[in-house]
Amino acid sequence: MSAHNPMRGSTAIVGIAQTPYYKRGKSPDSEMKLALRAIVAACDDAGIDPADIDGFVSYGSERNTAQQLLPALGTRSLKYAALAWTHGGGIPAAIGIAAQAIISGQAEVVVVYRAMAEASNQRLQVAVTQGDTPAQFLVNGIDMVLQRSAMRSHRMIEHDGVPRETLEAVVRAGYHHAQNNPGAAGYGQPVDHAAYEASRWISEPYHLFDCSRESDGAAAVILVSAERARTMQQKPAYLLATAMGASHAAGSREDNHEPYTSVGFIELAERLWAQSGYGPQDVDVAQIYENFSGMAVASIIDHGFCSAETAGAFIRLENLIAPDGKLPINTSGGNIADGFIHGMGLVVEAVRQLRGTSCNQVPGARLSLMAGGPGDSVTSTALFGSADTL
Amino acid sequence: MNTTSRIRGGIGADEGYWAALERGEFAISRCSGCNRWMWPAHWRCGHCGSWDIAWEAIEPVGRIYTWTRNHAVSDVVRERRVDVPFVTLLVELPQADGARVAGVLLGDESGLRIGAPVKGIILPADERSKGYVTMAWQIIGDAA
Repeated sequence: MSAHNPMRGSTAIVGIAQTPYYKRGKSPDSEMKLALRAIVAACDDAGIDPADIDGFVSYGSERNTAQQLLPALGTRSLKYAALAWTHGGGIPAAIGIAAQAIISGQAEVVVVYRAMAEASNQRLQVAVTQGDTPAQFLVNGIDMVLQRSAMRSHRMIEHDGVPRETLEAVVRAGYHHAQNNPGAAGYGQPVDHAAYEASRWISEPYHLFDCSRESDGAAAVILVSAERARTMQQKPAYLLATAMGASHAAGSREDNHEPYTSVGFIELAERLWAQSGYGPQDVDVAQIYENFSGMAVASIIDHGFCSAETAGAFIRLENLIAPDGKLPINTSGGNIADGFIHGMGLVVEAVRQLRGTSCNQVPGARLSLMAGGPGDSVTSTALFGSADTL
Repeated sequence: MNTTSRIRGGIGADEGYWAALERGEFAISRCSGCNRWMWPAHWRCGHCGSWDIAWEAIEPVGRIYTWTRNHAVSDVVRERRVDVPFVTLLVELPQADGARVAGVLLGDESGLRIGAPVKGIILPADERSKGYVTMAWQIIGDAA
């Protein structure tokens, strides 16, 4: 075990919450009110006063800033505020930033949060892509991350030989889990092979069902030191390790990164396993950010759960579902079948698994992975554990 | 094209690419210090540290590196809605150390596969290309 890493097990998530998911543009509350509702509910869950939060961290282009939230939370003292770069790739990085603030004594109670509502924040252009698509794509009719991801997944299938059935397995695992989650967008809408195949093309090889949802909503988690976590009312989800970054041949290269079909986690996963002292074979349950199914397949491969050669045998529906699969993923339904708050709901679910409160609980889950947005030019990944994994 | 109407996004060092297409040339950036091809263009060569980046015209031929058939487009590229479904490509340029450029497939789709050889056709600026002169690509058959 890497007991000398100062990050390992030094902080924990002790409060979680999310608002209901609303259809895009249908939230009755403004985006800022959604953020406040999630943050206050996470404090209730943790058993702390919202005024005690002294650190705020988010990612992407979160526009509900600490300074705007402060008056409504009654914040006693704002000591730390930061934003992790990039999009869904910044989620575990944001948690890592929060942990570093606590470990270094800059703050004691840090919230990591994300809120999105179409009516008050032009989600796709501002909140997600940040209006930063290079000209060579836009002038050729390529705007959405979807289209560039589709091209990457296509090469993964046709050139690397990863069976396209792996995409369907990721989709159906999400929908399978959503059937036990009454709050999920896909609740009551099971997807079998025929329904998947009948789903209309968006950008080949992606069907509509291969794509994440469009939701309004907010989610928040509260981090404190491990020492303080042990005195609080919830079972702590300890942060064992988090890795963020990009390899030498990656970063912003307009799809000229290498290896092209990687989604950025190869080096990060090596660091995650080295820092945590665990490996992919030890993980009990994983929340694998799926903007699109094929990107999640590549994330699973990058993390070392399987290789391109073994993906067809490993990434099968029966292996991806709770309670008995080899690697249950996206156990609340994920971005595809639960709802999409820029991936933040996946962190909440990763913690529920360690508390034993998931709607699709993996019995005795001790190690819970949360992989950030695949394919972002900088991304991140995190491993959480129960007390007995420290 | 007036450079003030250029799209702002990404690294933004690609003016030479568009200016070359407007002259009827297909050019990729290259470091004058170490001669490495650079795509996308950038402001400094991360290999040798040179700030001297040139644009070198090359023959517009390459191979399909990957592709997708688009059945929907967002409002940002709504001008392309009339073309749906259409195929977009990443084209690999062996003569520029494997640089990959984005483009639209023109003409016959038979032979569409990863590795298929393609040749570039310069298209005039129009609304669909947001006022940019662009390079589109045609499959030239397995024998090429």
